[in-house]
Amino acid sequence: MKKVEIFDPAMCCSTGVCGPSVDPDLTRVASAVYSLEKKGANITRYNLANDPSAFTDNKTVNQVLHEKGADALPVTLLDNEVVRVGSYPTNEDFAEWFGTETEELTQKPQVRVSINLD
Amino acid sequence: MYQLYNPVQHVKTPILFFTGKGGVGKTSAACATAVSLADQGYKVLLVSTDPASNLQDVFGVELRSEPTEIPKAENLFASNIDPEESARAYREKTVGPYRGKLPESVVNQMEEQLSGACTVEIAAFDEFSHLLADESTLTNFDYVLFDTAPTGHTLRLLSLPTAWNGFLEESTHGASCLGPLSGLGDKKDMYGKAVQALSDSEKTTLILVARPEESTLIEANRASSELREIGIQNHMLIINGLLQSHDTNDEVAAAFYGSQQDALAEMPKALKLIDTLSIPYVPYSLTDIASLRQLVSDNPFVLTEDNDEGIELNQLAELRDVIDDFSAKNTRVIFTMGKGGVGKTTVASSIAVGLSEKGHKVHLTTTDPASHLDYMFKNSAVDENLSISSIDPELEVEKYKKEVISAAGHLGEEELAYLKEDLESPCTEEIAVFRAFADVVARSENEIVVIDTAPTGHTLLLLDSSEAYHKEMSRSTGSTPESVKALLPRLRNPQETEVVIVTLAEATPVFESTRLQEDLKRAQIVPKWWIINRSLSAAGTEDKVLKMRASSEKQWIKNIDNELSGRCALIPWTKKAILNNDHKVTQS
Repeated sequence: MKKVEIFDPAMCCSTGVCGPSVDPDLTRVASAVYSLEKKGANITRYNLANDPSAFTDNKTVNQVLHEKGADALPVTLLDNEVVRVGSYPTNEDFAEWFGTETEELTQKPQVRVSINLD
Repeated sequence: MYQLYNPVQHVKTPILFFTGKGGVGKTSAACATAVSLADQGYKVLLVSTDPASNLQDVFGVELRSEPTEIPKAENLFASNIDPEESARAYREKTVGPYRGKLPESVVNQMEEQLSGACTVEIAAFDEFSHLLADESTLTNFDYVLFDTAPTGHTLRLLSLPTAWNGFLEESTHGASCLGPLSGLGDKKDMYGKAVQALSDSEKTTLILVARPEESTLIEANRASSELREIGIQNHMLIINGLLQSHDTNDEVAAAFYGSQQDALAEMPKALKLIDTLSIPYVPYSLTDIASLRQLVSDNPFVLTEDNDEGIELNQLAELRDVIDDFSAKNTRVIFTMGKGGVGKTTVASSIAVGLSEKGHKVHLTTTDPASHLDYMFKNSAVDENLSISSIDPELEVEKYKKEVISAAGHLGEEELAYLKEDLESPCTEEIAVFRAFADVVARSENEIVVIDTAPTGHTLLLLDSSEAYHKEMSRSTGSTPESVKALLPRLRNPQETEVVIVTLAEATPVFESTRLQEDLKRAQIVPKWWIINRSLSAAGTEDKVLKMRASSEKQWIKNIDNELSGRCALIPWTKKAILNNDHKVTQS
C-alpha cells in the first residue's frame, strides 16, 4: 500500500482565523485525510508547530526545507518521494494514490470522545 | 458615596481574583488586601502576574513562581508569575532544539505561531491551575489572592469538548489557541479542578477593579458578564482612586472630581447591581507595606509627603510640535497606539484637526464606537480638508466571522463550536480591524490618514508570513486581500507611516506601552513620538492631593523622555469634553 506523509507549516490556527484569511483548502485536506484514514490508508500529517522533530528526522523533508526554506511547506511525500511542494495535494491526487473515488473524500470528521468540564 | 473597602470586613471567600483593565490598580488592591488579611493573623498567599508591579521593591524580597515568605509582613507569602515568561519558556522549549537543525525561516515560522496573545493567556491559566488544583494550596493558606483573572475566552476554550479529545490530533483545526499546551490531555484533570474552584461561590470571589472612568467601568462590566456567563457568579466591585474631597477653588480639582462623579453616574446598569466599595484617591505612592496597609485602613487619608523633588525634567514638546513634525515631513499614514483608556481617539482627532488646519487633506478614522466623532465634529465646522469615517470593530469582527465560517464549508456541530471559539480570540478582532483600515488607507490616495488604533507586531508578522506563504500556494483560494498586501510595505516605511504611542505617566500604562513598542519593533516598525496624555503635572493644579499625585508622574515622564521614546510630548489633563456643549463627549 502507498504511504503518504504531509508536512504542514506551523499553524497556530490552522483554520486561518489568526491569519489574514481563512483557507478552505485546509478543511478540504483535513476531511480527505480523515476519510482516507478511516479506510485504513497509510496517511499521516505533521504540524511544524506541534511536531517539529518529524521535520528534522525525515531527511528528504529536511533537505527540501534547507533548499527552499519555510515557503516550501506544505510538503507531501508519496512513498518517501517528494510529490508536492508549497501546496496541498488535490482530492484527485489522493484518489489516484489510494485508488479511491474523489466523492469518498469529502466526508466530515466526526468527534469521537466528548468530555465536558462543566 | 461608596463604603470604603476594608478587606477584613468585606472578604468572604478564601480565593480572590482581581480583574480589570490595565492600570486600574488590580495589583495594589490585591496587595493591600493581602497585607490587611495577614495582619489579622491569617496565612495569605498573594500570586502576582503583573510584570509592571513593584512588588519586589514593596516587599523587599525577590519573588519567584514558588511562594516566598515576606519577612516584613508576618503570615504573608507571595509569588510572582510572568505569563509572558511562561509563554517564552514554552516557546523556547518547543523551538530551541530545532535551531540549527531546521532552516531559520522555518524556525521563525514556528516561533511566530507561538507568539500570539492566546499563547500568553493559556500559559497564565496553566500557572493558575497548578495552584487552584493543588489541594495543599488551600490547606496551607487561609486566603489565596490572584491579581488577575483568566479571560472568558480561555475558560470557554478549555470547556469545549473538542479541546480534550483526539480530534485535535487529527488536526482539522490544529491545536489552535491551545497551541502552548500540546500535551493537553494530561492536564485535563487539573484544569477541570481549577474551573470548578473558580465557579464555586463559597470558595471564590471575583473582584472587579475599576477607576471612576468610563472605559474601565465598561471593561469591568464586560468581564463581569462574560465570567458570569461561564458560571463564575460571586462578584464584587471596587472603585479605585475615588477622590473623596477636593479644593473647590481649584479649577483642575473641581473638573477632576466632576468627571469622576459623571463616570460613576453613567456606570453600566449591570454593574450597579453588584456590591460596590471604594478605595480613595490617595496622594501617596504605594511603595511599601505601610502605605498599602494604610490604603485599606480606617484612615487612609493621612498625608505623607512624597519626595520627588530630586527629579529634573527636560522641557518637553507639546502636541503642536508633533503636528508640526508630521506636517513638515509630510507623513501619509499616522496611527495612534496604546492600551484602551489612555485617550488614543482624542489624540488622533487632535492630530487630524491640527494637520487639516495647516492645509493638509486629512482623513480621520476611529475604531472607538464610543467616540461620537461625528458628533464631536458636527458643530465645529469641520473644514473641507477633513473627512471622518469610523470602523466598528464589532461589526468588522462579525463580518469577518461570517466570511470565515462560510469559507470553511460545511462543518459538524462541534467543529463549528471550536472554530467559533477560535474566532473569539483576541487575534481575530485585530485581524478584522486591520483589514478594515487597510481598505481605508487604500481608498485615501491623496489624503493623510489618521487612525486611532494600530496593529500589533504579532498581527503584522502573521500577515507578512502568510503573504509569503500564500504566494507559493497558487491553489489556495483563501488569499490575502489586495489592500492588506499593499499596506504592509507602507507601514514599514518611516517616510510614509508614523506610529504614535499614547500613554499616561503611570506605571502600568508605561509598561504596557513599552511592550507594544517592543512588539512593533519585531515587525521592523519603530515609533518615534510618545505622547503622555492627561498629565496632572502639566495641568497646574494647586489642590493638595492632586499636586502630590502630579509630582509622582515625574519619574515616568523622565523614563519615557530619556529611555523609551525618540521624542516625547506632554498633554495636560483637561476636563474630558472636547466641545463645549451640553452633550457628553466621550474620550477614549
